[in-house]
Amino acid sequence: MPRRREPRPAPALELKTTRLAGIQVILNSAEHAALDTHLSTLFAATPDFFGGEAAVFECGRLPADAPSPDWAWLARELKSRGLNPFAVQNASAELAAAAQQAGLLILNDVAPAPAAIAAEPEPLPEPEAVPAPEPALSATAPTRIIDKPLRSGQRVYAAGGDIVVLAAVNPGAEVIADGSIHVYAPLKGRALAGARGDTSARIFTTHLEAELVSIAGVYRTFDAAPDAAVARKPAQIRLADASQIVIEPL
Amino acid sequence: MTTIITVTSGKGGVGKTTTSASIASGLALRGFKTAVIDFDVGLRNLDLIMGCERRVVYDFVNVIQGDANLHQALIKDKHCDNLFVLPASQTRDKDALTEEGVEKVLKELEHQGFDYIVCDSPAGIEHGAVMALTFADEAIVVTNPEVSSVRDSDRILGIIQSKSRRAIEGREPVKEHLLVTRYSPKRAHEGEMLTYTDIQELLRIPLLGVIPESEAVLQASNQGIPAIHQKGTPVADAYQDAIGRFLGEEHPLRFVEYEKPGLIKRLFGGK
Repeated sequence: MPRRREPRPAPALELKTTRLAGIQVILNSAEHAALDTHLSTLFAATPDFFGGEAAVFECGRLPADAPSPDWAWLARELKSRGLNPFAVQNASAELAAAAQQAGLLILNDVAPAPAAIAAEPEPLPEPEAVPAPEPALSATAPTRIIDKPLRSGQRVYAAGGDIVVLAAVNPGAEVIADGSIHVYAPLKGRALAGARGDTSARIFTTHLEAELVSIAGVYRTFDAAPDAAVARKPAQIRLADASQIVIEPL
Repeated sequence: MTTIITVTSGKGGVGKTTTSASIASGLALRGFKTAVIDFDVGLRNLDLIMGCERRVVYDFVNVIQGDANLHQALIKDKHCDNLFVLPASQTRDKDALTEEGVEKVLKELEHQGFDYIVCDSPAGIEHGAVMALTFADEAIVVTNPEVSSVRDSDRILGIIQSKSRRAIEGREPVKEHLLVTRYSPKRAHEGEMLTYTDIQELLRIPLLGVIPESEAVLQASNQGIPAIHQKGTPVADAYQDAIGRFLGEEHPLRFVEYEKPGLIKRLFGGK
């Protein structure tokens, strides 16, 4: 790589805008018992689904007269399940005060349910200076690239974007992406594209031998082998009419 | 430099303990000071396979908990001078294995100048198995030529890649070896079993060896003599080859091709 002759030393500190992909924890109830039961059932089968992702409590759906949930307890519960809640959004003044006491930040007036949460803990110096990204790309996270075989029991999730896998996805492994999935090797495990409902997501592989494919929640299993035209061959999987899995040779 | 080798598989009954005993014995026969540790706390078997069950006084858990020192618990092998067995406890369960405790014992063995420490992992992917692979430098993944065993080996490889110290600390990854055991060339040839190439294609790790299915193994374990000592049997030869390859030698694969018995052989017997 060409280098400048006299590289200026990097400053000790730089400020840049960033968009964090995170998880929204949408509260429909503030009741301790109800939350506790649901958390337990939700995570019973997959206690280590999350791996330390940032999370925000979305309070917009709570009834106006709802009491404040036990924020400290909620945060602790989520933390023990691999989520890192750091803020509440769309909270009433009362809820916000309680959340603040529990050490959470307040993000108010955030549009509910964007694909990626814009979480700027502090006001940025010059928000206008940032060139507005094209609308189609605004919610896209960087493509995730995996170059080691995914083995039985392993699961990778590309939040907000695509995933490219350069090694085999073995039986029992799971690839999940909010966008499309590209596997340039045998796909023998499960592939779930459009995990947050993007019906235009697709799955591509150079060797289709999957156990299950799913796009935006519409899935197909392969108890019987797929057509000879695509079995163990390059194929693309897409959704037609928003409800029909189509598998075509590539 | 001490090298810690974990013998693991995920699935039970595939030959981990037989392999641990033979690999440890083979390394010792080649002059390396070797210890073999039974991590299967609660279901100890290694002492039986090594034929030292009547000499167990203290065990691995005793050492971890400080009830005995390592010197008291290590049992010298009958067949090799520089091989020592650290048996598992029969009366405890796997929770008795703490990460600090295991590390302390391994460090002490290193301090005593052992060249190789072979960790015989329990089946499964729970605490005991994780403890056995946490400190591994190299892993021998024992796999039978059947789909469920291959699947479980795949799973345990994933765990090695995420839970071993080398992985957590971002050091050079654990060196993985595939050892196919209980292989029957005839049944693989006839399509009843996966072939070793099928297995390797799925697991994608280097092949250390193929150990043929043999009655000699059962005989060896019942006598408490590791199979590698059954001189002249294909099993012993295959283990010797595997140890050679482990140490960087090149040996062609043996006992993997099926030869149709000729007429004379069929008429006059022979195996």
